[in-house]
Amino acid sequence: MEARERVQQSLRIRKKEGRIENSKNLEILKKGAKGLEISGLIILILIFGFPFLWMISTSLKSFSEIMIFPPKWIPDKLMFENYIRAWNSGPFLRYFFNSVLISISILILQFATMIPTAYAFARYEFKLKKLLFAITLLALMIPEQITFLPVYLQMSSWNLLRTYAPLILPFAASGFGVFLLRQTFMQVPDEIIEAARLDNASEWKIMWKIMMPMARPVLITFALFSFISQWNSYFWPLVMTNTQSLRTLPIGVAMLKDAEALTRWDTVMAGNMILIAPMLVIYFFAQKQIIKAFVYSGIK
Amino acid sequence: MANIYLQDITKKYENITVIKNLNLEIKDSSFTVLVGPSGCGKSTTLRMIAGLEKVNNGEIFIDGEEITHVNPGKRGVAMVFQNYALYPTMTVKENIEFGLKNNKISKEERESVIQEICDIVGLTEYLDRKPSNLSGGQRQRVALARAMVKRPKVFLMDEPLSNLDAKLRNQMRTELIQLHKKLGTTFVYVTHDQVEAMSMGDAIVVMDKGVIQHMANPVDLYNDPANIFTAQFIGAPPMNIIPGKKFFEESTYLGFRPEKVKLDSTSADNCLAMKGKILTREILGSETIYSIRTEVGDIKVKTIDSVFPEDIEIQLHIDYKHIYLFDVAGNRQRNLEKVKL
Amino acid sequence: MSFWDRVKPYVMVSPSITVFLLFFIYPIMYLFFLSFTSWNLISLTKTFVGIENYVELLKSPQFHLVIKNTVLYTFLMVSISIGLALPTALWLNKRGFLHKFTQGVIFTPHIISLVSISLVWMWIMDPDYGLLNWVMGFVGIPPSKWLANPKTALISLVVVGVWKTLGYNTLVLIAGLQSIPKDIYEAAELDNASKWRNFYKITLPMLSPSLFFLLVISTIASFKVFDTINIMTQGGPIDTTNMIVFFIYQNAFDFFKIGYASAAGVLLVIFLGLMTFIHFKLLANRVHYR
Repeated sequence: MEARERVQQSLRIRKKEGRIENSKNLEILKKGAKGLEISGLIILILIFGFPFLWMISTSLKSFSEIMIFPPKWIPDKLMFENYIRAWNSGPFLRYFFNSVLISISILILQFATMIPTAYAFARYEFKLKKLLFAITLLALMIPEQITFLPVYLQMSSWNLLRTYAPLILPFAASGFGVFLLRQTFMQVPDEIIEAARLDNASEWKIMWKIMMPMARPVLITFALFSFISQWNSYFWPLVMTNTQSLRTLPIGVAMLKDAEALTRWDTVMAGNMILIAPMLVIYFFAQKQIIKAFVYSGIK
Repeated sequence: MANIYLQDITKKYENITVIKNLNLEIKDSSFTVLVGPSGCGKSTTLRMIAGLEKVNNGEIFIDGEEITHVNPGKRGVAMVFQNYALYPTMTVKENIEFGLKNNKISKEERESVIQEICDIVGLTEYLDRKPSNLSGGQRQRVALARAMVKRPKVFLMDEPLSNLDAKLRNQMRTELIQLHKKLGTTFVYVTHDQVEAMSMGDAIVVMDKGVIQHMANPVDLYNDPANIFTAQFIGAPPMNIIPGKKFFEESTYLGFRPEKVKLDSTSADNCLAMKGKILTREILGSETIYSIRTEVGDIKVKTIDSVFPEDIEIQLHIDYKHIYLFDVAGNRQRNLEKVKL
Repeated sequence: MSFWDRVKPYVMVSPSITVFLLFFIYPIMYLFFLSFTSWNLISLTKTFVGIENYVELLKSPQFHLVIKNTVLYTFLMVSISIGLALPTALWLNKRGFLHKFTQGVIFTPHIISLVSISLVWMWIMDPDYGLLNWVMGFVGIPPSKWLANPKTALISLVVVGVWKTLGYNTLVLIAGLQSIPKDIYEAAELDNASKWRNFYKITLPMLSPSLFFLLVISTIASFKVFDTINIMTQGGPIDTTNMIVFFIYQNAFDFFKIGYASAAGVLLVIFLGLMTFIHFKLLANRVHYR
């Protein structure tokens, strides 16, 4: 402790000395650097934020305003009709419903399967544990870009292609979720579980009253991760659906591009807005949680 | 209120035997302290009483009832853990209430018990807080309250004070002693700190390598240790042990406490005398500890005199009545003491 | 232990394991099987053809191009997205509203569907009325058909890919930077270390696990690229953006060459397996930093 304090004190003194020596030049330099830095930040914000603003702007333009070069930033008249046209250009209510239904069903199923699985992996010893956990890790690492063909053929041979099954069932359990939650359960100190046992709590009670509340942040994290991934999913539903009635929003929006011979960017961007608005709203309210969900859970 | 009896207890982890044929009787309403270096089996013993560790062989009785295979929650014991082990997602009140609910105690009764206990430990105003918003001392009190509300026959405590700072530790020590007096329940307390053991326990069990070395009250333990291990474990600085061959016979060891050595005195009757050179002097205020090099080894001396400087030659005297004899295995030779000293 | 105690763990894991076996493990084995057959989806029988599909693949100039494209795309994606993320992370790793806000903004593309991203970038890259040509006009670069030009199509996809992942990569590195204990820098300051030395001797080695993590997941993710290709270029022009997953997809669902597509799928499995293996191997042996 003491040594640390001494180190910090001498650091402070050295910094102070340095400051006195060239304080004036430094101040000018600092101001310049600060201005430069802020401009840099604004450029960065523009590069990553502007496409979204451009999307909004385009979605509210008239068809003739799109075909102006150099581009026009703000439309004269806000064409909300574009949204109606986009919505009516296909069964968008159906797409929307399908997206919600599939994302939510998957989330519920994943929770139902991963909680007991993770609990068993974390808290029990059993003969095949290592093998079964290896299978879980394998499932976590095998991407859908590899399994889509055989799963499609499987589903086809089971006559399930015209149902929701191929869209939901393969994701009914999540290797990632099991892994994440098992990790969390394992981090619960033994002492706390022992205290609960001394408090005459049954195994069931320990799971629901002690472990689950402690895993709450991880469960929220996973829910966000799973819902956002499923909502945005394009590849899998593209492969697994042949009929319009099963398609999801990303497919519907992607199809807007080819709806007419000449791409109507105003309509496409309006459809695009319908697709991303829910994500942007969630992101706006739960930015910290979402960043944690994607960034930190990836690192662990 | 209950006595505890451990009979022929053996405990193995995998193939390593950590406790072998342990027999121990803990008296009703005693404050029994299990003390020893880490890995001596004291915590394992406590956890076996709690039911958190399975017993490989032997039987455990609480209040005359055989409970060797009874679930931890049904043994009528409560435990305070080293890291408190509070349920982090529950408020203080929910923490305390959890065990009562599991035992199907009615709401009115729960409320009144919680009220009563929280008044005793001074938690009333924190009932709605989460453990993360409490100080170390407050968490300690919650852990205590959680144990107390169950009105257990036995309190088990596993190094409950080791996470507190020195000042708070002293305060909680006093409070625990008073609590034991007030409740009159059997306390079994595990610590590695001999000072804590001596100051709190009315019965002390010194353990090493899974074997009970000596069990006695603090006074006897200090004045009449059964072996070198106990003699050196209890008391600070530890008892000086020197080979006996120069003074008595080979294959014996002599022991004497640092505080029983007289420095530079002239009285030589009935005394063991030797010469030495002062190596270091640690002045602690009320007393001073000298490290002295003699021909039989380095010796620690604790005295109220701080006048002797380092590097001088000095005469040491130890009264025969303060000398203990041990055999090579380290066991006390009381008979030999009577004859030889 | 009672019977129930012994069976309970298996009951608890069985729903998940069933899904994993049915939709991850079994399909891989099925894929291997299919790669040794010839099947057009319609006929009732699959003919066993041995390694013929693999031979045909390895002889096919198109497949060579696909591999070349995939490797090039992956190399560009990994080097650019990590190469830009590192300075961005060092820069943005500060307190203050504007820095935090910028972090939030650059991360946004990561939670947006690649469909939206592809569409908005197609619009920005539009040859006639696109924003990109207008911006390039200021730098003196003449208007271009970014996605229709064989020279720029692939790099255009890289631009979109980098735009999507830069924020994520940056935040991963910022998380890594923040886990470096501050007192190491204080000790270095007492040792009179220069800023550059600090970066080289402390920051970079301590950041190596995060960088390595990004390297592996970026490689794997780039190898799996499909959405942007399917929406923006359809593998064109003249196959310059045709990459492995799109190739498999096309052969399976447009040309109905199931065995052929499966063989390519198996090669993808082998490559990704190798990457994952290297990941764990290196993680276990090499990245020692403490």
